[in-house]
Amino acid sequence: MSIEKQEGKQKQKQEPRINRRNFLKAGAASAISMGILGMANALPVQAAETVSNSAGQVNGARSKLHPTNYGSASVKMADFNDQWLGTTKIVGPIKKFHEADQGFNLVFRHKVSEAAFEANKFYHAAAKYPLGDALAKFTLSLAPMVSGKPAPEKLNIPDPEQMSQHIKDCAYFLRADEVGIGKMPSFAYYEFKAPPLADMMKDDLSKSVPVTESLPYVIVVMTDQNLETTMASTGYDGISGSQSFLGYHATAVITVILANYIRNLGYNARAHHFSNYAAILGPCLVSAGLGEMTRTGDCIAHPTLGFRNKVAAVTTDLPLLPDRPIDFGAQDFCRVCKKCADNCPSGAITQDEDYIEKNGILRWQSDIKKCVEFRVTNKEGSMCGRCMKVCPWNSKEDSWFHQAGTFIGSKGETASNLLKQVDDMFGYGTEQIEKYKWWLEWPERY
Amino acid sequence: MGTFLVFLAGVLFLAGLLFIKPRANMDKKWKTILNWALYVAWYAITWMGISFIYINASVGHVKATSTAIFLFLGISVVLAVVLARLLGFFGKQQKKANTSLEA
Repeated sequence: MSIEKQEGKQKQKQEPRINRRNFLKAGAASAISMGILGMANALPVQAAETVSNSAGQVNGARSKLHPTNYGSASVKMADFNDQWLGTTKIVGPIKKFHEADQGFNLVFRHKVSEAAFEANKFYHAAAKYPLGDALAKFTLSLAPMVSGKPAPEKLNIPDPEQMSQHIKDCAYFLRADEVGIGKMPSFAYYEFKAPPLADMMKDDLSKSVPVTESLPYVIVVMTDQNLETTMASTGYDGISGSQSFLGYHATAVITVILANYIRNLGYNARAHHFSNYAAILGPCLVSAGLGEMTRTGDCIAHPTLGFRNKVAAVTTDLPLLPDRPIDFGAQDFCRVCKKCADNCPSGAITQDEDYIEKNGILRWQSDIKKCVEFRVTNKEGSMCGRCMKVCPWNSKEDSWFHQAGTFIGSKGETASNLLKQVDDMFGYGTEQIEKYKWWLEWPERY
Repeated sequence: MGTFLVFLAGVLFLAGLLFIKPRANMDKKWKTILNWALYVAWYAITWMGISFIYINASVGHVKATSTAIFLFLGISVVLAVVLARLLGFFGKQQKKANTSLEA
């Protein structure tokens, strides 16, 4: 063999190359990977979960259309008893609430300020934005449709779990984004319904109607307020009120239909939605396993939607299997984050480290009067949802790194602190993404 | 598209692996392990960065995109330079090939 040929062979040995054997190995590995991915995508939910071993957690009855989805949040089941409502500590008797003491009703009753009263006459604060007005009027028109007599024939329901699964799927079929079923907290019912608006504007509560209903279960229906709109908004511009009413009208429609349906089965059911509540929905949400209380005081954060949601509910005596409250670390997260408090234009959200006891429960207490005053007198738009916009749980699209963030954020105070700093470093929440700004502004009406 | 990208990432990982294989084995075992660990870390961070930047840019998170370009690609370039140096792509005296073979 010549010297040139030997040199050529030596050089060939040193150079990297993909031979046939390695090429086949690489091809086989890729085909197996793609096969597994394909199976996970193509098979029915349970089979895919078995293949990918990602069954996740189940709370209460399992929906066929929308299995429980907590994203990557580390979720533990909590309890609802005489000491705890999920992660909220009950420290004493809880007095029922008069609907007339709700924030916007305080405005109508001249309890906030005269400027606020004038700004919100006949719901002007929402109605000044034309789309908000259109949504609000529709939602208000659903006020009389919340209740009725059940059908005389009560249909037999042998399996409450199956009925719960069916009711959840029914709500998802009606376009709910999340649904939970809880034991109805008796203290969540109002003591009195507020009197007609004209009487409230005279601060005359004599025509208040006592709430006597006491049904054992509550079905809570949640819809998203639209992520892209949230990302494009300041949180207090024209679209803000309409985002609220997007959720209010959708959940109102779903719950009115659900309540009608349950009454057709022969059971009692009452819808509670924006224009006709007989209960405060915050405790119902927690009881139904849809979230935890937050620093804002009255917004309930869900593991995947945060508190970028609106809810309505149906109270009923239909035999159901209730979900359990959940703990995904929101208390630890809210304790260290404070992004909502730092960005609240009215300064209504507390900076306190620890909870304050009020009416038998421990929670962060926001100044509701400051909050509603800013919302009704806002000169830069209609209403306000700045806290919703900046909250790290609310302002993200679904992606692997936000899922990782969700996991970190549900792992205690130190991890939450890290996540908050990363969130700030990348500018999430406080930015406005102009390409999603689809709505029009009419500053002359603000 | 996503499945194809996973496939592509796998192919590139294998190609890179085969490319550095002749240079990765060192006289000391810990050096060999360091080379492979650095390669895996570099590859993972690079693709994590590309994915992070791509998703944030497509959604419109401007600050997240620009911060990630500096953060992830900065780390990626530093790791790549360190790895290339360890693998002897530059900075090492090249041994002259022995052209005078004896019979």
